[in-house]
Amino acid sequence: MGRLNITEKNTKALVTFQNVSKSFGATKALIDCNVDFKKGEIHSLVGENGAGKSTLGKIILGAYKLDSGKTYVDGEEVSINSPGQAVKIGLVGISQELSLLSSRTVVDNIAMGREITSGMFVSAKKTKEKVLSVMKHFNLFVNPDAIVGSLSVAEQQKVEILRALNSNARLIVFDEPTARLASNETEQLHSLVKSLANNGTTIVYISHFLDEVLTISNRVTLLRNGKLIRTNLAKEETKKSLIEGMTGKEEGNLFPSIKLINESSETVLKVENLTRKNEYQNISFEIKKGEIVGLAGLVGSGRSELAHTIFGDKKPDNGAISFCGKKITQSKVSNSINLGMAMVPESRRTQGLFLARSLIENISLPYLGKFLSIYGLDKKQERNTVNEICNKTTVKHSGIDFEVQYLSGGNQQKILFARAAMGKPKLLIADEPTRGVDIGAKKSIYELIAKLSDVGESVLLVSSEIEEIIGMSNRVLVMSRGRLSAQLIGTDINKKTIMEAAFKYN
Amino acid sequence: MQLLELSKKYGIAVITISLFLILSFTTEGFFTERNIRNLLDQQSTILIAASFMTIVIISGNFDISISAIFVVAPLFALNIENATGNILLSVLGGVGLGIILGSFNALVVTYFKVNSFIATLATSFMFFGFGYLISDRSLMRPVTDSYQQIARTKFFDITSATWISLVVVIVASILLTRTRFGRNVFATGGNQEAARLAGINVPQVQAITFILLGAAAALAGIVNSSRSISAQPSDDFSFVFAVLTAVIVGGTSIMGGKGAIWRTVAAAFFLAFMNNGFNLLQVDPLWQRIILGLVIVIAVALDSWSQRKNV
Repeated sequence: MGRLNITEKNTKALVTFQNVSKSFGATKALIDCNVDFKKGEIHSLVGENGAGKSTLGKIILGAYKLDSGKTYVDGEEVSINSPGQAVKIGLVGISQELSLLSSRTVVDNIAMGREITSGMFVSAKKTKEKVLSVMKHFNLFVNPDAIVGSLSVAEQQKVEILRALNSNARLIVFDEPTARLASNETEQLHSLVKSLANNGTTIVYISHFLDEVLTISNRVTLLRNGKLIRTNLAKEETKKSLIEGMTGKEEGNLFPSIKLINESSETVLKVENLTRKNEYQNISFEIKKGEIVGLAGLVGSGRSELAHTIFGDKKPDNGAISFCGKKITQSKVSNSINLGMAMVPESRRTQGLFLARSLIENISLPYLGKFLSIYGLDKKQERNTVNEICNKTTVKHSGIDFEVQYLSGGNQQKILFARAAMGKPKLLIADEPTRGVDIGAKKSIYELIAKLSDVGESVLLVSSEIEEIIGMSNRVLVMSRGRLSAQLIGTDINKKTIMEAAFKYN
Repeated sequence: MQLLELSKKYGIAVITISLFLILSFTTEGFFTERNIRNLLDQQSTILIAASFMTIVIISGNFDISISAIFVVAPLFALNIENATGNILLSVLGGVGLGIILGSFNALVVTYFKVNSFIATLATSFMFFGFGYLISDRSLMRPVTDSYQQIARTKFFDITSATWISLVVVIVASILLTRTRFGRNVFATGGNQEAARLAGINVPQVQAITFILLGAAAALAGIVNSSRSISAQPSDDFSFVFAVLTAVIVGGTSIMGGKGAIWRTVAAAFFLAFMNNGFNLLQVDPLWQRIILGLVIVIAVALDSWSQRKNV
């Protein structure tokens, strides 16, 4: 059987989107996109983090409802309102985080929800036969009686794919399928994906790994900031053309001016040969007093893990961290806080805030030691300090006794900055400090960071947003697959150099 | 919105006071000095344990084993009393045993990471077993007259059991609302990951809550045995359910991170008033149970409903 010739005009589209848009609150995730997915093609979606590729993938699967626009399946207009409906039509996803029952067998997982029954009882024999016939048909085998939890990630992924095939999938969305695979497993997955496409299944392939995208795809769709830039044949694109398309041109100035750092300033943080197995290797760098250092890299490149290690939340396997000239011997968060570090963690809801508690309790928590008196906590002094900090960090609130869950996302984020500012830290580690906040809050967060640097506090800014890294940093570190792939200063800091370094080991 | 917030915040207090007023005006024999004094005395053991149970639940855990500590601690105290005749030593010994058993719970939950509900269910059986072991499977009585004075001494016409419960409630409240430890308890139960990143030693906080509750349950058991001038080994789980009912009806979230001791106290009295009113009005005990169950269902459903509204 020959490879379907996708370039031919007569190859029909399975799914077509016309003028689709989707917003989350103030964030426009997808703006007026037109795209079609043809039968039997491998169609990749590429773009920076937050460009809208995962959103588009989830819209296909019915996980998000469209704000506007039309969907056609087999040329007929439909509206896909739920994942269940999408599965019925034959649109199935293989997610980054696999969704399997890990203590059940392979057969149970593949047949889940589609068990064959005789009367009111599930027929184990017939169900297994059906699963085996699917395996045979697609020439894709996994031991049917194995317990899923005991399989490798790659094998588990096969189980998910088989489950999709067992439900007669006509289109499968792969969201970063190779992020957790070893390189030989990646190749196996690629040949599997190709053979599925040859059998007429449409593949939507979302990946950060551009080489992989270029080798397996028929067509590539490029997204940037929610807009569809172009859809093109893969053979007409190169890694370079994709990176240029993904980053686009510079945008208007959102950023305050950043003070230059004197070469002779004292070193605040020194990291030497830091290694944590399977996360990052041999990381060495320094941060000077008052310096803002941007840490860029793709999701999964080891940035956050490195940040958490510096903060004492994870233990390094190897290497050393020195803070203000003293070597840190003990990985302990409370220790780091006492020494003068503070962190704004990546996810404010799951790692940062106590949503059902008041502003005051959220802000003062790590620094309650400051308010101890013989009568317990000195609440008056605590209130005064918290009020003062809220003003300084421009938190908009209707009283510090209100629960933080009623604040806007931007203000919730500022609560974390207020908490950090309370300790007057020498080093602030800010992990994705502007994720999910609107442009106004973004701007004031940038101003806060600049102010910190003005008073001599150093900042390690971890971010997926390249503009943010470029606009805010004195110096930029780039990580790629767990390694430090570049250290950039001055005019070397631009989108092209950062993106190239970020993809260096991919 | 504001009315909703207020009723959510002070609802249990309003309901308890209303019930108190209604019963006072409608039910003969309710608002008498003797009845109120009795009510206070009866609630003392529940209040002592429930105060610290509230803290354990706010920190995100459960402790089923307080029933067993409630049974075994007075047996141990009476063993010491029988041997030495020294009341102070016997009380300290009983409470000390509570601390040791609480520490064991803490070890299983925070070091071996066993779910606290299962862990304390399992340790319950061990502790009940210790009870049979140290009492020779039989009822124990104090040899001195002063043992019964632990709970029965009167100051200003109010029993020492009531005074002890008052002191425990106040100490627990101060601990929870006015100290760093209290804040850490709320943080641990509200969002463990965030608490850890704020530099809180989460296992340590949880361990302390179990140890304190162990001591409180032991004290409650000793007060109870002093009141009845005896102690008996058993497998009786009813104490923990009475305590949990008060905590949960009070609105302390079983998911952790939210709650207050005054709420537990209010709920304990609400339940006591209800029970007392039923008895005075001679409601069939059959209906008493059904209504009590319904009240718990409503309390928990309200909590879950208000959680959903917030997301």
